[in-house]
Amino acid sequence: MSEVRSTGSMTGLDSKKYNGEIIVTETDVRFVSKKKDGNVEFPIHQITGLAQVRHGGMSSTVTCTIKGDVKYTFYLSKGMRVYKQIDDHWDNRPVVKKTRADELKRLAELRGERIQKVKKHKVRRRHPNRSIGGDIGVYILLAIVACLMAFPLVFAIGSSLKPLDELFRFPPTVFAQHPTTDNFSDLFVTMGQSYVPFSRYLTNTVFITFVGTFGHLIIASMAAFVLAKYDFPGGRLFFGVVTTALMFSGYVTGIPNYVIMSNLGMIDTYWALLLPAFAAPIGLFMMKQFMEGLPTALIEAAHIDGAGEFRIFWHIVMPNVKPAWLTVIIFSVQSLWNTSASTVIYSDEKKTLVYALQQIQAGGIARTGQAAAVTVIVMSVPILIFIFSQSRILETMASSGIKD
Amino acid sequence: MQERSFLSKWTNVKKENLKYGWQKAKKMKVCYLFLAPYAILFFTFIILPIITSIFYSFTYYNILEPPRFVAFKNYIDLILQDEVFLTSVKNTFVIAVITGPVGYILSFLFAWFINELPKWLRAVAVVVFYAPSVAGTAYTIFSIIFRGDAYGYINSFLLEFGLIDAPILWFSNPAYIMPVLIVVILWMSMGTGFLSFVAGFQGIDNSMYEAGYVDGVRSRWQELYHITLPSMKPMLLFGAVMSITSAFNVCDVPRALAGYPSTDYAARTVVTHLFDYGFSRFEMGYASAIATLLFLVMILCKKAISNLLAKVGT
Repeated sequence: MSEVRSTGSMTGLDSKKYNGEIIVTETDVRFVSKKKDGNVEFPIHQITGLAQVRHGGMSSTVTCTIKGDVKYTFYLSKGMRVYKQIDDHWDNRPVVKKTRADELKRLAELRGERIQKVKKHKVRRRHPNRSIGGDIGVYILLAIVACLMAFPLVFAIGSSLKPLDELFRFPPTVFAQHPTTDNFSDLFVTMGQSYVPFSRYLTNTVFITFVGTFGHLIIASMAAFVLAKYDFPGGRLFFGVVTTALMFSGYVTGIPNYVIMSNLGMIDTYWALLLPAFAAPIGLFMMKQFMEGLPTALIEAAHIDGAGEFRIFWHIVMPNVKPAWLTVIIFSVQSLWNTSASTVIYSDEKKTLVYALQQIQAGGIARTGQAAAVTVIVMSVPILIFIFSQSRILETMASSGIKD
Repeated sequence: MQERSFLSKWTNVKKENLKYGWQKAKKMKVCYLFLAPYAILFFTFIILPIITSIFYSFTYYNILEPPRFVAFKNYIDLILQDEVFLTSVKNTFVIAVITGPVGYILSFLFAWFINELPKWLRAVAVVVFYAPSVAGTAYTIFSIIFRGDAYGYINSFLLEFGLIDAPILWFSNPAYIMPVLIVVILWMSMGTGFLSFVAGFQGIDNSMYEAGYVDGVRSRWQELYHITLPSMKPMLLFGAVMSITSAFNVCDVPRALAGYPSTDYAARTVVTHLFDYGFSRFEMGYASAIATLLFLVMILCKKAISNLLAKVGT
């Protein structure tokens, strides 16, 4: 251990502050301050205090002599504080890096206290404020409620796999004893004979969901980008209005929307579904809240490099908010996939999957199995998307709050 | 230059402010360009409908004839003459009061409990709890579970244990419609707010809890009130907005399960009432009056809740 270097600042006797590097050898301490007109070197007797000394390790001990007779030890610890202490046997001790535990132990020895061993918890726990009884209670409660929550969905899957005789067995069972996929194939047969084939409904829904989600993602992200990263007149007001609009569901605006659509000549076209979906407030809200977390420096740096706003948006901002894409996508898919579009679409060949589902359920008891099959088909898509994108979605939702 | 002459009518301060704003707006033209596509759609399909809705609510309008101004007649009829509306208000109120706060508190509590689980289990639990609301129309399966004959799951269960003698017509008997609907709606209440809560819990720094422990917090409930709730306020408000929205806009579930119209209007909510007048009878003016009242109530609710939340944990 010949030399220890550490950057930091110190106060000289002239009470001026200098930034530089402290160089400690076993016999000498120097502080080198870097200035424009060359380095200025301070011998140790001028140093009255050290502050904000940064060092790579956990902590380090610096021992040095000042004015020939008084021995000082400087402890450069992780907390960036410097302790001064007289130590008589400084030259017998090797200069070593110490951990905080070592330091506490040494101090305890100095004070003559007995060293206490830290008790280890038998069960490693995340929180200090948890009783084991409470935890078990919470787990049991969660398990029961989770079963209740999952039951209808499991029941739907079970019913869709039941042959006809099991659907009307008394007492009914949750799971099928002889699972078949008859219901699914029957579904295609029934719907194949109808005026509009089942595959058409499926295609319609997929089309609406895909186009609506994609358009919403682009349009909402563009707006969210400027709302989050630029301060321009009217921006804050606009976002306030969007936040309030979170509360207005499609039903309530449905009636005047119908009038507006018919004036624009969009009734019975997909525009009537897609355009309001593009403007859904929830997507913009989520996007904006997440984009606020992006470092502004990133955008400023791109500005300096001469990138235009659109380049910044497309090449810098969008790739950096991928988790938020998924959140916007799941909300948009959830509403578009489940839309029955009964009010604005009249032609049967333009109707959606959910509409078909409602027709099958209206078919009554004979169609019970098929109705369950459609339910399973309809619900599986959003659930699967959610399962695969869950962690990203939660990452975005962390910034979802409304600040007053 | 026309802007200048317009501005000169204002007081000096106003003038300076506006001038500054205008200059700034001119400098940031590109922002408006980015905002424009969304803003135009948003205005056309969300703001304009609300404004026209308020406008139509003072008129008689049936789409075929031009709107005729009738002042407050729609509102007066609605409150004084329309008994079905009062039933629907009562139903919506019952649903909103029960499923709103209960759903909200439950989703908060379960998000909190889930947060204590190990990571892999947490992922599973979030999916299980959130699936009903993401699954959209999956609630239609309740029409099989609560089927009115003996093959319905609940009926057969109750028959087998001898609790009832004859199968209950869950969705036709007015006495049972509401409780069953509330169960279904509660089942779906772990929605967007729930996700926001789960994410919010994960965002709280563990050192806050450690600091709280040093300062004398000794139980999970104290920790919840003094540390967790104050740091989750933004999510709590967001969750509240989401829960108000879903509580007041109940429409699809009763329509799909209890029929439309339901027996004795027992499952009629404000929104199904609005639907009835708007899309079956085409009395747009009347329906708009209902919509306007609903807007008002929702905005007041949000105000009340954000005031209430401001007091939490202080």
